[in-house]
Amino acid sequence: MSIEARSQSPRATRSPRRIRPSADRGEKSEVRSIRLKFFLVIFSLFTIHFSLFTFADAKVYIDITSPEKTRFPIAIQEFNGAEGKDITDIIRNDLDITGFFMCIDKNSYIESPAQAFDSKNWRIIGAEAVIKGTVSVDQNLSVRVSLYDVFDGVEILRKEYKGQRSSIRQIAHAAANDIYRHITGEDGIFRTKAAFIAEDEDKKGLYIMDWDGAEIKRLGIRGDFVLQPHWSKDGTKIVYSSERSRQWGIYLLDFTKMTERKIFSSNGLNMAGNFFPNGDEIVFSSSKDETYGIYSLKIAESKITRITSGRGIDVSPSVSPDGKQIVLVSDRGGSPQIYIMSSKGYDVRRLTFEGFYNTSPSWSPDGKRIIFVGRNAGKNQIFIIAPDGSGRTMLTDTGNNEDPSFSPNGGFIIFSSDRDGIKGIYIMRANGESQKKITPAWLKASNPKWSPN
Amino acid sequence: MKRFFVLVLALGFLFAGCAKRAITVQPEQPVAAKEEVQKATTSEAPKAKEEKKIEVKKVEPAPVTKEEAKKVETISVKEAVETKESQAKFENIHFDFDKYDIRDDAKPVLKVVSDWLIKNRKNKMLLEGHCDEVGTNEYNLALGERRAKSARDYLVTLGVAKDRFEMISYGEEKPLCKEQTNECWQKNRRVQFVIK
Repeated sequence: MSIEARSQSPRATRSPRRIRPSADRGEKSEVRSIRLKFFLVIFSLFTIHFSLFTFADAKVYIDITSPEKTRFPIAIQEFNGAEGKDITDIIRNDLDITGFFMCIDKNSYIESPAQAFDSKNWRIIGAEAVIKGTVSVDQNLSVRVSLYDVFDGVEILRKEYKGQRSSIRQIAHAAANDIYRHITGEDGIFRTKAAFIAEDEDKKGLYIMDWDGAEIKRLGIRGDFVLQPHWSKDGTKIVYSSERSRQWGIYLLDFTKMTERKIFSSNGLNMAGNFFPNGDEIVFSSSKDETYGIYSLKIAESKITRITSGRGIDVSPSVSPDGKQIVLVSDRGGSPQIYIMSSKGYDVRRLTFEGFYNTSPSWSPDGKRIIFVGRNAGKNQIFIIAPDGSGRTMLTDTGNNEDPSFSPNGGFIIFSSDRDGIKGIYIMRANGESQKKITPAWLKASNPKWSPN
Repeated sequence: MKRFFVLVLALGFLFAGCAKRAITVQPEQPVAAKEEVQKATTSEAPKAKEEKKIEVKKVEPAPVTKEEAKKVETISVKEAVETKESQAKFENIHFDFDKYDIRDDAKPVLKVVSDWLIKNRKNKMLLEGHCDEVGTNEYNLALGERRAKSARDYLVTLGVAKDRFEMISYGEEKPLCKEQTNECWQKNRRVQFVIK
């Protein structure tokens, strides 16, 4: 999804007529129907990035893998120019929601936005990094962002972003990504999305939103029941299960063509799992032969291969990022537990032994951790465990928490929770800190899956 | 249908703001005020939605007199009961939490069902498996499917041909009862018999 180009593509110049610039954030909620094929526009960022300056000797300011709980103090000076406040707010919110940063109150700033950076002004108020920027608006939006290291008193990043005014959020998120990368050494997640299921007038539908809960959009998908979307590795497709005419089938939505097609259906229950790394094959569970089995499906060839079969329940398969292993839920031991096997179905071993109800497993992007839902004191909670069974840790403790999946950088987890009384979507750091609801209070939402890019 | 439509929900995102530092010299009134304005405007969205819904409801009964309104309602209730009767000619059978084996209290119901099917040879039957909301939804779908299959297998042992059944699982998606009580969850852990 990352489009860093020196020149704008032809589509980029056409797009403003096709996509309605969204209303200012917070203004009002509108429901509009647009042709789904134009939805593609939303998936592309028509901005040009010019890296004007990058400090050669990159250092990591926060080790995000460290369990240390101190937040990195950063000052974000409001950008001047028409959209300056909005852009600054988006960047500040992005950094804040990660839980790694403490944004210093702007009333304590000594230096005015117009003044040149002077580390003395920031050292006094305890800032370790400072973000300054300017915004100029003509037909397009042009944002110039600088990041300063207060300790060394140097500018470590200067970058210019250009794009249409309607892509203000994406521009701000792109800047936040660069800032995040310079401070943590890791890729930011601020331009990622989530696919999820929500209820609208008692009908379940498939939705898409930005990772921070903004820009919620419903996809016009038929079927009363839709479950568990899974993204393709390149983020251009999702597969999901839907019940239509009393059959549970597996469907594929291709964002590049804006088409949906059925890729598998039969009698019995068919539920989509995730994609293999090769990109054109998914894993799924099916009871088409009356016994449960885990299968793989080569989408282009419509070729299915049976991986397991059993007398009981084998569901929720998830292929590891390297494609070599599959984690699944099985009741072969008498209760739903999590098992790991090779992607050919050999070497099955049980992963969870504590608790009588462990389901919904999902891999971390590096394949070193698995998150799942376990029952604890009468409620469903999210747990993390290593594939060798060590390090089992409970990450949530309020309400029922389900459907966990990792962010593409592995630093965060998106999940659903009913802790507020109504099911909504939350994100948290992968260690369970900084839990925050991202969907609006009135939307009943579940089954989130973080996009890969 | 080749073309699909999207409903764009241009939603306001509520910015919770950053953790503030204790250094603050002055209270941050302007920002706080703005935040309030934002909150006020974003909360308009759901209200507007609700109001719209309520309006629709108000418009409909307005030209109808109370009696007529009652009639309309009664008719719809009757219809619901009728369809329910043909569907729920048989009692639902129930299951223990996370189980799909046939309980003893289900066996008399299954006997009634099989007797009826043996008498009414032309009819087919849909077995709907359902679960409570306690578990996770993908596993519940599988569990519901196993419950429908258990019922089907039992009915086959009572002499009904296998091909007269269809099965579907709705997992926890179609609860009969929406309260969060043990009693309610028990009602939802069921197989329903639908005559086709």
